[in-house]
Amino acid sequence: MLDLGLIAFANPWLLLAAAALPILWLLLRVTPPAPKRLAFPAIRFLVGLESREETPVKTPWWLVVLRTLALTLLILGLAKPVINPDERLYGSGPLILVLDDGWAAAPGWSRRIAAAERLLAQAQREGRIAAIVTTAAQADTSDEAVPLLLPASKARQSLTGLKPKPWPVARKAALERIEAMTFEGTAQVVWLSDGQGGEETAEDLLAFARALQQLGRLDVLDDGAAASARLVRPPENTGQGLTARVERAAAGTNETVRLLGVGVEGEILSNSTLVFEEGETVAETQLDLPAELRNRITQLRIENEQGAGAVLLMDERWRRRPVGLISEGSRTGVQPLLSGSYYLRKALDPFTELRTGATPDLLSRELAVLILTDDAQVEDPSLLENWVRRGGLLVRFAGPRLAENPEGLLPVALRGRDRVLGGALTWNAPVTLGDFVADSPFHGLEVPDDVVVRRQVLAEPALDLQRKTWAVLADGTPLVTADRFGEGWVVLFHVSANTYWSNLPLSGLFVEMLRRLLEVSQGVVTQDANETLQPLTTLNGFGVLTNAPTYAAAVAAEDLSRAGSIGPSRPPGYYGTEGLRRALNLGGSLQPLHGLPSLPDGIVLRDYAASGELDMGPWLIALATALLLADFVLSLWLRGHLSRPEASGSVTVTTLFILALLPAVAAITATPANAQTLGDDARALEATLSTRIGYVLTDIPEVDATSATGLSGLTRVLHLRTSIEAGAPLPIDIELDELAFFPLLYWPVLPDQESLSPVAREKLKAYLDNGGTVLFDLRDPTAGARITGQVSNAERSLRQLLAGVKIPPLIPLPPDHVLTKAFYLMQDFPGRYAGGTLWVEGTEGRDQDGVTSVVIGANDWASAWAVDRLGRPLYPVVPGGERQRELAYRFGVNLVMYALTGNYKADQVHVPFILERLGQ
Amino acid sequence: MSVKETDLRHGAETLAAGMPAMLLAAERIAATVAQGVHGRRRVGQGETFWQFRRYQPGDPTPTIDWRQSAKSSHVYVRQMEWEAAQSLWLWCDNSPSMAWRSATNLQTKSDRAALLALALAVLLIRGGERIALLESDLPPMTGPTAIDRLTILLSELGAASDGAGMPPFKPLPRFAHLVLIGDFLSPPEELRAAVERHASRGVMGHLLQVLDPAEESLPYQGRVRFEGLEGEAPWLLSRVENVREAYHERLNRQRENLASLARALGWTLSMHRTDHPAEAALLTLYMSLAQRAGE
Repeated sequence: MLDLGLIAFANPWLLLAAAALPILWLLLRVTPPAPKRLAFPAIRFLVGLESREETPVKTPWWLVVLRTLALTLLILGLAKPVINPDERLYGSGPLILVLDDGWAAAPGWSRRIAAAERLLAQAQREGRIAAIVTTAAQADTSDEAVPLLLPASKARQSLTGLKPKPWPVARKAALERIEAMTFEGTAQVVWLSDGQGGEETAEDLLAFARALQQLGRLDVLDDGAAASARLVRPPENTGQGLTARVERAAAGTNETVRLLGVGVEGEILSNSTLVFEEGETVAETQLDLPAELRNRITQLRIENEQGAGAVLLMDERWRRRPVGLISEGSRTGVQPLLSGSYYLRKALDPFTELRTGATPDLLSRELAVLILTDDAQVEDPSLLENWVRRGGLLVRFAGPRLAENPEGLLPVALRGRDRVLGGALTWNAPVTLGDFVADSPFHGLEVPDDVVVRRQVLAEPALDLQRKTWAVLADGTPLVTADRFGEGWVVLFHVSANTYWSNLPLSGLFVEMLRRLLEVSQGVVTQDANETLQPLTTLNGFGVLTNAPTYAAAVAAEDLSRAGSIGPSRPPGYYGTEGLRRALNLGGSLQPLHGLPSLPDGIVLRDYAASGELDMGPWLIALATALLLADFVLSLWLRGHLSRPEASGSVTVTTLFILALLPAVAAITATPANAQTLGDDARALEATLSTRIGYVLTDIPEVDATSATGLSGLTRVLHLRTSIEAGAPLPIDIELDELAFFPLLYWPVLPDQESLSPVAREKLKAYLDNGGTVLFDLRDPTAGARITGQVSNAERSLRQLLAGVKIPPLIPLPPDHVLTKAFYLMQDFPGRYAGGTLWVEGTEGRDQDGVTSVVIGANDWASAWAVDRLGRPLYPVVPGGERQRELAYRFGVNLVMYALTGNYKADQVHVPFILERLGQ
Repeated sequence: MSVKETDLRHGAETLAAGMPAMLLAAERIAATVAQGVHGRRRVGQGETFWQFRRYQPGDPTPTIDWRQSAKSSHVYVRQMEWEAAQSLWLWCDNSPSMAWRSATNLQTKSDRAALLALALAVLLIRGGERIALLESDLPPMTGPTAIDRLTILLSELGAASDGAGMPPFKPLPRFAHLVLIGDFLSPPEELRAAVERHASRGVMGHLLQVLDPAEESLPYQGRVRFEGLEGEAPWLLSRVENVREAYHERLNRQRENLASLARALGWTLSMHRTDHPAEAALLTLYMSLAQRAGE
């Protein structure tokens, strides 16, 4: 370290290399640039010619200056000059960095790391040793050993691996580890704090600071509680919707945060503003959202803030409200359209997930609300009661049965018999509804005039009846009563769910009331609160959901909402199964936030702002590299490789680009694993960029060569006569290659054909089923002949080949088949041999529009099509004549047309034109 | 047909399509060339009636002219005049030095040579002549298929560019025409040795020298190290502009030697530069062919 006040050099001995610069200057001066190199055919006339005057060639002075300057910059850059170096560290012992890496450290994490980097760089220049102590509990407990004292350069390397943890800090444990360290001299301790007290009390924090101070000097870096992380607390279900809460560590000035409701795909579903009033640490807002939208919110997230505390994961407790409708023991014979469940289903379906069934079935899955109408009869009331006591919401409707027999779970005691209003034998008229009282969940709903109640069950008068009543009739008798049972609620509508007792179920008010009731419910209540939930996805320190790390352990369901449950083995995130996810949130686990207490004297409190230190090394080296590149381009120009002056600019740019790209290209091409995939891709591209006919390889080279030349000949004819511009045919290894690229396969069948492997068989089957066409060529004029009932060799080998491939029944080509008119009108299909029968699939039984996928013949077409590179036929046709070869080509054209266009020519539209051409 | 072949074919057809006016001009000079098929004034294969002759045993029965035979008591066979088309043999230099161009907007010399050869073939085949390549085994051929085949052969030869730079010897029929297209930069003695045997057999030859403009003008400056394309030793020149005159002198001497060689053999010589339109060279070639045929 060479310190010159304003500038310090980290590697000062490298400056000695500057002494070599004058020698370089001399060397560069005397070496002339290489001549232009030029290929020239008429060199014979130049040999022996000499130009008359030979001017001395030297490197131009400006190029020498440029190169010397570049090298000087390079030497300076490697010497690592630092402008405005930081002040020296205290003491002679190690530098101990105490880094808060809990959830609250995530905002401004890069500033913390940068500050640590600066300190370690300073320690490295001073040749000190250093240790980094993180205060959050480690995920891997083996790391909790005594922190290592490393040379500062090593410590700097380990700095890049540090990330904030999604759980709170445990400074007491960290202090124990620090005190276990042994070193000589007095240490410089720097506490890079996150500005929050965390789970520790003010006394604990002061003790921590004093203990650190005793090691030497303690500097505390803190941006203040106002800048520290904020925490989203779990929202509360209220009658009107969700109340979202955000907490901050210090009760400072007015502050505004925006809270985003984020959906599964990351879409923003709500965007609300929360205002921290001066002196308050908690801000609240109502999330007024339609139920459909609210159900889709999976995260509440503070806008523009990183960290696990800024994210609150939502689960079924805040989301879907499945409603169960008990159908157990329903009376038979009830008109479906007049039953209460019909009205309830109509009212609830649009905004909930409604399930119908017997009580045990319904309770086997999570439910928010259970509805029991008068028609239904619960067989095991204790099951229902248990569920309600654990937090369920039971909604009951009155009816004749309840009026007869008022028992079971009821919020109020009922009188026997019901009250009839406005009946034939009563004096009083049907009663309308009264306004909803202020503490009722129905408060604020508009009461329509035309809703009347004709009959109801009556509650026994009691002292707490007023408290339990959520809705009354105009005459003050309760219409809806509710009471708590354990954690849950039982709500009773004193009228029936159908229209016999009132016309309430017909009104819109009914829907609104049910909706409000759902919002009252606590959320999903499962049957078993003690089951263990496996971690699914968890938040990392920056508040991003990732796959659960290996150290995350299963958690009991009841621990999810317990305070202080979050730690290394239980990071915040989703637990349970994909079907039922439960969220574990920092906001539900942490105690109220508080900032750091005022620290004792002698402790230096600073903020994270960077000092003015500037490392010049990289800049100088970059500048030197730029100058060397310029030198490179100039050298090219001097040699005449950039001959056109107007193009030199673009060439320079291109050169620079190429130089920049070279490492990347090398990295890509150097990976041998890529070669295989590239090869596959290349073949796929080759096969698909133009239409190609494929031929199946046999093991016999002559047959393969004939297939190749034959299909080339056919392709040539297609090119000349039709609009099909097919590429050269491609060979296919039936076991290895993909078939799907080829509209048509030519398959020469060998006399001693082996059957296909199961893989190839599956492939062929898939190809045929998906619309591919195969021409099987038996290449044997006697294939169709049967001598004394025996099948010929060729036929036997075809059967051998296709053993296990399901081919539909074949028929001889009918005279009106599309193959006879796809391009040319023809009835005979000779190849090298004439007269064989062509077999195609029968039209019925296949659903591919009657297009055959298999064409089988024996005429050895490839030989008839085969031509050499100058277009001369390779094989004579039997019995002979160019007419037969022409017909063979026409069959090929028809077949390719057929493979490409299917039954297009069978279309009735074309019949008149074809008839006209046929002269009929 | 590859892209290169298609390009070559297209270029040649376009070039030849511009020729009808020339064809007319040529017809005035020598009708026989346009006629294509040349009667040999004797009995043989042909389409024109030559004579009736008394049937003799051994004559094929389809040759009997029944109408003529019905007029008298003898049986006559109809005989045709022997017609033969001129055969023309093409040779393009495909040595490495031909695959060179001084600027990207020019054709290489071998591309231009192949284009001219094919255009000439298209023109002559339309006139009914029979064309062959000196370096292939195929006999002279005519008709549209011949153009296809010549296209393929020429582009194959051009792509190889590993030839010796000298036309090979092969026994050509007497009075056949031989068109040699190349840069002819090698010593004239070598060329003389290669073509003398053809000339001694009565083959009529046409030389077309195709050069790049840079080979003619030597437009370079400064310190240049020249390297040959056929394995010649490199030559370093410190100031190219100073030797330009000497170079021109040597190139002109080469041309004079070529011209005197052509004169001595009774052949024709024409010059072409790749920056000049190909039509001019084609016309010159065609005219010289027509002139020789008309003699």
